Amino acid sequence: MASLSSPSHCCSSSSSSAYSNSSSVRFHHHHYISNLEFYANSPKKLGSKKISLQSRGSPYSNTILMQDGVVATTAATVENEAPTKKLKDVLSSASPPEEHNVNNDKSTVSITVVGASGDLAKKKIFPALFALYYEDCLPEHFTIFGYARSKMTDAELRNMVSKTLTCRIDKRENCGEKMEQFLKRCFNHSGQYDSKENFVELDKKLKEHEAGRVSNRLFYLSIPPNIFIDAVRCASVSASSANGWTRVIVEKPFGRDSESSAALTRSLKQYLEEDQIFRIDHYLGKELVENLSVLRFSNLIFEPLWSRQYIKNVQFIFSEDFGTEGRGGYFDNYGIIRDIMQNHLLQILALFAMETPVSLDAEDIRNEKVKVLRSMRTLSIDDVVIGQYKSQTKGDITYPAYTDDKTVPKDSLTPTFAAAALFIDNARWDGVPFLMKAGKALHDRRAEIRVQFRHVPGNLYNRKFGTHLDRATNELVIRVQPDEAIYLKINNKVPGLGMRLDRSNLNLLYKARYSKEIPDAYERLLLDAIEGERRLFIRSDELNAAWALFTPLLKELEDKRLIPEYYPYGSRGPVGAHYLAARYNVKWGDHGVDE
Amino acid sequence: MAIQLSHFSSSSTTFSSFDHKISYFSKWVTDIHFRRQLRNNFELKSTNGYPLNAIPMQDEGSVAKTLGEEVPFPEFGEANSMLSITVVGASGDLAKKKIFPALFALYYEDWLPENFVVYGYARTKMTDEELRNMISKTLTCRIDRRENCQDKMEEFLKRCFYHSGQYNSEEHFLELNCKLKERESGKLSNRLFYLSIPPNIFVDVVRCASTKASSATGWTRVIVEKPFGRDSESSRELTKCLKQYLTEDQIFRIDHYLGKELVENLSVLRFSNLVFEPLWSRNYIRNVQFIFSEDFGTEGRGGYFDNYGIIRDIMQNHLLQILALFAMETPVSLDAEDIRNEKVKVLKSMKQLQLEDVVVGQYKGHSKGGKSYPGYIDDPTVPKDSVTPTFAAAALFINNARWDGVPFLMKAGKALHTKRAEIRVQFRHVPGNLYRRNFGTDVDKATNELVLRLQPDEAIYLKINNKVPGLGMRLDRSDLNLFYKTRYTREIPDAYERLLLDAIEGERRLFIRSDELDAAWALFTPLLKEIEENKIMPELYPYGSRGPVGAHYLAAKHNVRWGDLSVDGLFLPAFAAGKICLDGFLLLYSSSLSKKFKDQKRFWWSGFEVLLSVIQI
Repeated sequence: MASLSSPSHCCSSSSSSAYSNSSSVRFHHHHYISNLEFYANSPKKLGSKKISLQSRGSPYSNTILMQDGVVATTAATVENEAPTKKLKDVLSSASPPEEHNVNNDKSTVSITVVGASGDLAKKKIFPALFALYYEDCLPEHFTIFGYARSKMTDAELRNMVSKTLTCRIDKRENCGEKMEQFLKRCFNHSGQYDSKENFVELDKKLKEHEAGRVSNRLFYLSIPPNIFIDAVRCASVSASSANGWTRVIVEKPFGRDSESSAALTRSLKQYLEEDQIFRIDHYLGKELVENLSVLRFSNLIFEPLWSRQYIKNVQFIFSEDFGTEGRGGYFDNYGIIRDIMQNHLLQILALFAMETPVSLDAEDIRNEKVKVLRSMRTLSIDDVVIGQYKSQTKGDITYPAYTDDKTVPKDSLTPTFAAAALFIDNARWDGVPFLMKAGKALHDRRAEIRVQFRHVPGNLYNRKFGTHLDRATNELVIRVQPDEAIYLKINNKVPGLGMRLDRSNLNLLYKARYSKEIPDAYERLLLDAIEGERRLFIRSDELNAAWALFTPLLKELEDKRLIPEYYPYGSRGPVGAHYLAARYNVKWGDHGVDE
Repeated sequence: MAIQLSHFSSSSTTFSSFDHKISYFSKWVTDIHFRRQLRNNFELKSTNGYPLNAIPMQDEGSVAKTLGEEVPFPEFGEANSMLSITVVGASGDLAKKKIFPALFALYYEDWLPENFVVYGYARTKMTDEELRNMISKTLTCRIDRRENCQDKMEEFLKRCFYHSGQYNSEEHFLELNCKLKERESGKLSNRLFYLSIPPNIFVDVVRCASTKASSATGWTRVIVEKPFGRDSESSRELTKCLKQYLTEDQIFRIDHYLGKELVENLSVLRFSNLVFEPLWSRNYIRNVQFIFSEDFGTEGRGGYFDNYGIIRDIMQNHLLQILALFAMETPVSLDAEDIRNEKVKVLKSMKQLQLEDVVVGQYKGHSKGGKSYPGYIDDPTVPKDSVTPTFAAAALFINNARWDGVPFLMKAGKALHTKRAEIRVQFRHVPGNLYRRNFGTDVDKATNELVLRLQPDEAIYLKINNKVPGLGMRLDRSDLNLFYKTRYTREIPDAYERLLLDAIEGERRLFIRSDELDAAWALFTPLLKEIEENKIMPELYPYGSRGPVGAHYLAAKHNVRWGDLSVDGLFLPAFAAGKICLDGFLLLYSSSLSKKFKDQKRFWWSGFEVLLSVIQI
């Protein structure tokens, strides 16, 4: 009767609707999925903490375990409205031993944020951890350590962290209390990133908190790439867990090109196994990127269309409406191609274009993604347009050029905009252009995937469309941000006595359909890392293949010191992007008439 | 070659200045443009000499030039022609509620030619004034266009006249002819007769009208309403009689469902979107459902209905026509003959209906909350022992390459719990679905479905499986929506407006050809005979219910679930009400009975059944 408790609160959404055939547990192997739907609502308050997480012996067994014997207590609890704490006791006493049930009381997770005083840590990591805690997704026993060079007390760290914590809009109850409880579990340890002694001290502190339980340790490296290796070395040598797992989350950049990336991977592998390395690409944690596979593989109507036979082109569009704003130091060294295209957009492309994987297991999915990347043509410089924004005065406000940024060299040629046409030379996608576009300081902020379909062969309604057949084709748009949405543009008859066609959308606006706040990408990725779910992290061979595509191009751009096309701050980007698209008979969907 | 005059730019001629003409013309040109292209070439229409299938010309010279080239009979300009519409049976319900209002709407929106008259013809003695008075009560203006409505109404009424006479009297029609001629005053005359009369006098009227009141110079067309007979024989007989007096292209058999906006859009959706056509076959479509339900009974007017029954009244015509449109192969063009050829092919490929693939029902009295609803046989106009079906469900099959084995289910009923008409296309399950664990044991439950809701609240939506946002991996069904109300602000015209306009324009696409009608009857006649000869008892269902349970068994036999009674259709509204009971039930079960239900599935199903029973109450 594990069923009643199994939709662990953290993984299932609280707005679970009873009619949906949903399983709350992230698709791990578990046996009760089918029969749970109706219960999803009632036991929401129960036992969520207990069940949310169990440690796993093997990093590959990503089964979420179920608590047995919960049912017996369910009725009683609801009647008494017993507080969670009491319930917890009841639960643990009521739980009969089960074979692979590692008792929660004996395991703990310590999350060490290395580079705790940095921007990413403050803005994303700590808030994401708190959100996970708030939704009961963290195990019962956990501690969070901030590690940085700046001297700070625990209280100072807590003070710093507390400033950026927020509660979900739709779940405000007890938020203040929860926050305090969360902060109590946060500690600070100051130390050098390359000092083994300092990490040994950390290890001691962690051990104290673990108090003899099975210890699992997650290190989040939120530090510049030049000290990656040092930190990894020290952490793995001096602060690895003795009896549980140790995992390390690494942020981009993963090198600058094939060679440096390979060198980085080699160094990491000196100290870590492949399955300990979690290369994060936070775009893969976005709700609609996650949904891409669901859309494609769980709906009959899309898969038949998913090939060169029906798809004319695919576009991956990323734009920001601000520039480097005084923080171009890091960016200038990398440029938009490395910063957005080679990782975020290419990863989404691989997910989009991959063949159906054998299963949803991380290795199966990543195998398919690698296959796509390896089938791709190396980018040639003819298929790329680069740009850099220049200053513009609009009204009274003057927007600075990229090279006006104090942290950027005056003669910098680093692209802040790039558009590229890529091709996958396999049976499914031969000849279909995959266009990418990424830029800073453009007129709007968005990230989206656009699938443009071919025109209807022998269209009966041809005359309605004038001379340009391709103008009235179907288009599937997956808007990743802002305002998540999926819509399919169709040709429709305008109601009325005439026979006029127009384009209407079959819409799914997330805001209108789902009342729940969509979790931040970092929450999902942190939770996955804790659970050992590697699906959304980048494997070494994936990374290699990705660099192999872009490295020759990047080298050429830099060797030849190609001048980027200048575009005004806040504009739609360089005109070159349109010519590039036109060469492959493509129109950018985001500049279409209806947009 | 029949020359048929178009009415369209009546607007342009009503304006005195040429500037006006141009601007008005451009405003309409997009609408006009397409209608024109649909026409057969021989049905050349000129509107005051403007070549309508050309882009509007800005300078006079080129207009004149085109006119000379493309309009062979320029003397039949609009100013020289006159359209008379005679509504035979003008005092009837349909005329009052639908035909006159539709004519007014066409007039209001400038779709009628400049010169037109509307004649009411009926046995009742009435003056023109009385007719106008009667009509004016049912005229309304579009919600979104109210300006000048009153003026327009008065102008419209001024063009309405009345002639009283017997339906079988040639003299009376001769008198009508004289009056029409007076109005036409020498202009080219086009005459449209709308027969809004009982079927037993169809032929009489057609005889009188065609022999005595046909147009001498222009066209004469007759719009006929259902019923077109009761079976193959009577229908053929009727057609034969009609054809004694009329040629095939003068007969306009109206099926007002074909004039509904979303039925019109069905072909657009299918043939102008790449994403649908690849899916439109047995490879991807599991079944198709055509559902019609009314939430009221015969309400004291069962006399006509009892003689026909729901199968003849709804299925054999409306639903079958939509089915044919849905399932036809791509026509050569959008011309009426091409489309109707394809429809006939579908009908001819269909398997004759078998009695075992049909369920019939009849509603019985039902009391709900102090209010009691009458049974069908409580209707005083219905015989007490009537076994006429007021509900029917049927499974049809098309034995061609595209549709072999795909059940096409139809369901039509009166006195059900809702009022709706919709087409539901259920797709197959995803083969080797990666997410099958998220769907439980019934893979067919989570399939895609395309729904075209014809009424009320026109909408198109496509049900897809989607990830529920959040940290877990839960899937649910969401809709890709297109609600007409939110997308289009314009009021959707009534089906009769479209059909009347088409008849005036000679556009036959939405009217039923004789061979179509034949094929349709051939499918249903043996079944109807069998039902009547064997006096098959209909399954009784309570007024306001979801219809007989038999419909579910019929669907289940073909491995289909009715889309309108499915999880989202049924549970969602009922869920709020049933949830409390269900929760209580669950707790009860889980605490006291949990040991008995070792089998998860049985446990789940018992919950399901209780929920069902809660809803049924």
